Amino acid sequence: MDIGDCYVGWATDEDIRTRGASGGLVTAMLAAALEKGLVEAVVVLKKIGEFEAVPIVTSDPEEVKAAAGSMHSVPIVLSRYLEYGTKVALPAKPCDARSTIEQAKRGQVDIDTTYIVGLNCGGTMHPAVTREMLDVMYKLDPEDIEGEEIDKGKLIFETKDGKEHAIKIDELEEEGYGRRESCQYCAVNIPTMADIACGNWGVIGDLAGKGTFVEINTEKGIAILENAIDAGAVEITPADDKGKAIRAKVDGAMMNVAAAANEKHLSPIEGSHLDYYMNALKDCINCGACKTVCPVCACGETAKCTEFSSASDTYKMSLFHLVRFVHLMDSCIGCGQCTDVCPVDIPLTHIYQRFAVPMQEEFEYKPGMDMTTPPFFGVDLIED
Amino acid sequence: MNENIFTTVCPGCSIACGMYVREKDDGAIDIDWRKDAVVNAGKLCRFGVRLSANLKNATSRVDGNEVEFSDAVTAAGKAIGDGATFVSVGNTTCAEHLALMKLAESKGAVVNTGMGAFSTIPSECHPTMGVGIPLDAIEDAKKIVLFIDPYEQYPLLVRRILAAKKNGATVTAVGWKAVSLADENKTIDPANYESELALDSDSVIIAELNPSTDPERVMVLLNLAKASGAAIMFMKPFVNAVGCDLASKKTEQKSLDQIIAEINDGSIKTLVCLDSDLIEIMPDETAVRGALGKLDNLIVITSRASAITDVAKIVVATEPLYKKAGTVVNAEGRALQNSGEGTDGVDAIGTMMGQPVGMYDEIHAALLATLGIDAVDERVVPAYEKPDYAAMDANPTAEAVETALVYAGGPFFWNGIVDDNDFVEMNLDMVTANSLLKGIPAKITSDAGEAAVKFKVSDVAPGVVLSNVKLPMTTGMVTSVTVSR
Ligand SMILES: Cc1cc2nc3c(=O)[nH]c(=O)nc-3n(C[C@H](O)[C@H](O)[C@H](O)COP(=O)(O)OP(=O)(O)OC[C@H]3O[C@@H](n4cnc5c(N)ncnc54)[C@H](O)[C@@H]3O)c2cc1C
Ligand code: SF4
Ligand code: SF4
Ligand code: SF4
Ligand code: SF4
Repeated sequence: MDIGDCYVGWATDEDIRTRGASGGLVTAMLAAALEKGLVEAVVVLKKIGEFEAVPIVTSDPEEVKAAAGSMHSVPIVLSRYLEYGTKVALPAKPCDARSTIEQAKRGQVDIDTTYIVGLNCGGTMHPAVTREMLDVMYKLDPEDIEGEEIDKGKLIFETKDGKEHAIKIDELEEEGYGRRESCQYCAVNIPTMADIACGNWGVIGDLAGKGTFVEINTEKGIAILENAIDAGAVEITPADDKGKAIRAKVDGAMMNVAAAANEKHLSPIEGSHLDYYMNALKDCINCGACKTVCPVCACGETAKCTEFSSASDTYKMSLFHLVRFVHLMDSCIGCGQCTDVCPVDIPLTHIYQRFAVPMQEEFEYKPGMDMTTPPFFGVDLIED
Repeated sequence: MNENIFTTVCPGCSIACGMYVREKDDGAIDIDWRKDAVVNAGKLCRFGVRLSANLKNATSRVDGNEVEFSDAVTAAGKAIGDGATFVSVGNTTCAEHLALMKLAESKGAVVNTGMGAFSTIPSECHPTMGVGIPLDAIEDAKKIVLFIDPYEQYPLLVRRILAAKKNGATVTAVGWKAVSLADENKTIDPANYESELALDSDSVIIAELNPSTDPERVMVLLNLAKASGAAIMFMKPFVNAVGCDLASKKTEQKSLDQIIAEINDGSIKTLVCLDSDLIEIMPDETAVRGALGKLDNLIVITSRASAITDVAKIVVATEPLYKKAGTVVNAEGRALQNSGEGTDGVDAIGTMMGQPVGMYDEIHAALLATLGIDAVDERVVPAYEKPDYAAMDANPTAEAVETALVYAGGPFFWNGIVDDNDFVEMNLDMVTANSLLKGIPAKITSDAGEAAVKFKVSDVAPGVVLSNVKLPMTTGMVTSVTVSR
C-alpha cells in the first residue's frame, strides 16, 4: 500500500456496513484502531436524535460503532475535542481536518499521534434550519424523518413509512434553506490534508452505496487502514479509473459552485465600511462564544482579544472583535462555527472571511491544507 | 477515557437555554452547544458559555463541619419541626420543588416562591403573570414594548426581537437605559402607558417579575395588556420560577421581604431554603446576612456552593442541576426535561419526612398532571388557560429619586457570578456634573456606606447610576446616592 493509492472499502461486519453512510469503512477503521491499540481514544458523534449529536471522546469501540452514518444536520467541528499527547483518531470533514492541522502548527495538537480520517464534505445544515425547511419546503413533520441522504444534487429525506422525499439543493438554497452559508462557499470538498480521505464519490456499479472510496495521503493513513485490514474489520479493492475520474469531476463541479457562492455572499461592501462593521456588530452581547467555539483559535482564556477589551471600556464595535478579525486572518478556515453559536445572529463567518480571504490570497496561503508555516509566523520583525 | 454527556438547560434564567454538560472522568465539566434545542438553537449568553466557571458544587455540612450526605439529611430531618418556613424560588427541578411542598405540608406550612406579587395580585391574574408566550410568537409581533434591557437581563431575547424587527415590528423600550435595538427609547409615566404606547392585539409586552418587583407595577402592566389586548410576558430571573409558581398555585405566599421581617421579629426561627440563596437574590445583602444570623436553624438544600452555604447550620448538598432527573418550565411555559437521572434532592426531602426513597416517579406523574400532559416534549408548549381579569387600581411607587443607584438585574446579578461587569453606567451630564474622570473610579455614597466603582458613560436616564452587580451600600433595587470623584 502506498501514498496516493485509491481503494473502495467496506466494513466486514454486516451491521456496521448497513448502518454506515457508504459501507461503514470509517467506523470499522476507527473501532479497529481502538481495539488493536493503534490509538487510545476516538472522537465521534454520539447520536441523540435525527438532527442532533454531540461529540464524545471515547475509548469504547461500541460507542464508535454506534456512531456509524453521516449526519448532515450536525454542523460541529470535532478538532476542538482533541487533547495534546493522546493517541487519537477522528473522522474529519475538511473543516475538522484543517483546524486540526492549524492547531498542530500552534502546538495544541500532536500531529504525529493524531490520525485524521477524512470525510469528503458537500456541506452541513443547521438543525433549526433543517426542521423549518422540512415544514415549509417538504411539508413534512421533522419527527417523521428516519434518514436522509444527498444524491445527484438532491436532498432526500426518508419518512417512517419508507417513502422518499427529494428536492434539489439549489432550489432549497434559493429559498434560504439547505446548507449553511459557510458551507455554500467552502471550496474544500476532499480532505487531501487528512491522513486518508473517504467518501462516496467515485463508488460505482454494484458497490455504490455499499462501499467507501479511500485515498491514502500519508503513512499514518496506510497504518490505520492496514490495521483495520489486519484486524479483519475491513475489506478493500483497488478503485477503478472510471471511479477516480467521476470523483475528480464531481469535486471540480462542487468547487465551481463554491466559487459562485463566494462571489454572491462575499461581494464587496457597498458604502461606508465603518458603518457596515458598526452595524453588523452593534448587538454583540459580549458572550465570548465565537472565540470559545473557534477551532483554529489557540489562545486559551487569556488572549490579546480579551485582554485588550473590557465591558467597562468599550464601544459597540469592541477591540475584542477588531483584534480577532486581524488575528484570525491567516487561520480562519470559514467553518461557520462562530456564526452558528452567536446568540444575536451576527453573520460572523462572513465577516471573518472578508478579512481572511483577501489576505490568504495575497500570501498564497490556505490554512489547514498542510503544515506550511503561516505567513505571519514567518514575518521577520528585525530586518538584517 | 470516557465522558458523560448530559442534555440539560442553563440554570441562569427563565429562558432555560438548552445545552449539554460534558463531565470528564475526573469530574471536571464543560458546556457544549446544543444546536437542536428549540428554545435557543444552541446559542447561549455569557452566563451559559461560562457555566463551568460559575458552578461550584456544594458540600454537605452540619455546624460548619463537612459530613456525609446521609448525616446532613438526618440532621435536617430532625431540625425541621412544625413552624419552619420554606423557600424555593425556582432554581431547581419541579420534582424537588414538589417534594419540598410535600415536606412543608407535613409540617403544616407552604413553600414560598418569594414572588410577593402573587399574593397581592388577584389569583385570576396569576396564569398571565406566570406563563408568558412562546418565543417564536415574539418574532411575529407587530409592536414590541420592552420594560427590560434584553441585552443585559435576558440576552437570548435579543435575537427574537431582532427577528421581529426584520419581520417589520417596531420596538419601543421603556426603561433606565436606551437599548440600541429599540426604534424609540422612552420614559413614560405609568399613567400614560395606554395613550403613549398605543398597543393592540398584535403587540407584545415584555417585562420582568422578580422577588423585588413592586406588585403595583405588575398591576399597571397587566392593566395595559388587558386594555390593549396585547400579549404580555413576564421574564423571571430563575430557571424554573414558572414551574415552581405553577406547582405552588393557590397557596399563600410570603414575599422575601416579609420572610426577612418575620425572622427579624422572631416569628421565624427555622428557615429551609431549596436552591435559594437569599443573600444573592435580595438587593440588601447586609440586611439579609443580619437576619439569617438570628435564625435557630438555617437549613439549605442545594446543589451549588454560594454565600448562603457558608452561613447555614445544615447544608444538604445535592447533585448539580444538570445531573438531576426532572423537569423545569421556562418563561414560555415550555417543559424541558433533563437527561440526568439523579434523585438525591427528592430522596433527601423524602427521607426528611420519613418517606421511602423512590418518590421521584410519583412526583413526576403529579407534575405531568398539573401541566395537563402525558409526557414532556420540548417542542410542544402545554396549553395554559389564561382567564380574563378585571382592571385593577394600581399606584406604583415612584422609583426615581434625585440620584439613584438602580440595579439592572438579570443572570449576571442574581447568580453572584464572576464577570467583567464590575462597573456602573451613567450619562455624560452626570459624569461632567460630578467632575468624574476616566480611569478614576466614581465614589458612590448612600446612607448605608460608600464604594469606589469603575464607571462607563452610557445613554442612561438622568440621575440614574445603573449597576449590573451588587454594591455594598445599597438598601434596595433603587437606593438614593450621591456621586463624587
Ligand atoms: C456532513 C457530511 C457531508 C458529506 N458529504 C459528502 C459528499 O458530498 N461527497 C462524498 O463523497 N462524501 C461525503 N460525505 C462522506 C460520506 O457521507 C461518508 O461519511 C463517507 O463515505 C464514509 O462512509 P462510511 O460508511 O465509511 O462512514 P461511517 O462508517 O458511516 O462513519 C461515519 C463517521 O462520520 C462521523 N460523522 C457523521 N456525521 C458527521 C459530521 N457531521 N461531522 C463529523 N463527523 C461526522 C461519525 O461519527 C462516524 O464516525 C459526507 C459526510 C458528512 C458527515
Ligand atoms: S465548512 Fe466545508 S468542510 Fe465544514 S461542514 Fe461546511 S462544507 Fe463541510
Ligand atoms: S473565525 Fe469562525 S469561521 Fe473562522 S475558523 Fe473561527 S469559528 Fe471558523
Ligand atoms: S458570539 Fe456573537 S454576541 Fe457573542 S461575543 Fe461573539 S459576536 Fe458577540
Ligand atoms: S442565563 Fe438565560 S439567556 Fe443566558 S444562557 Fe442561561 S438561560 Fe440562556
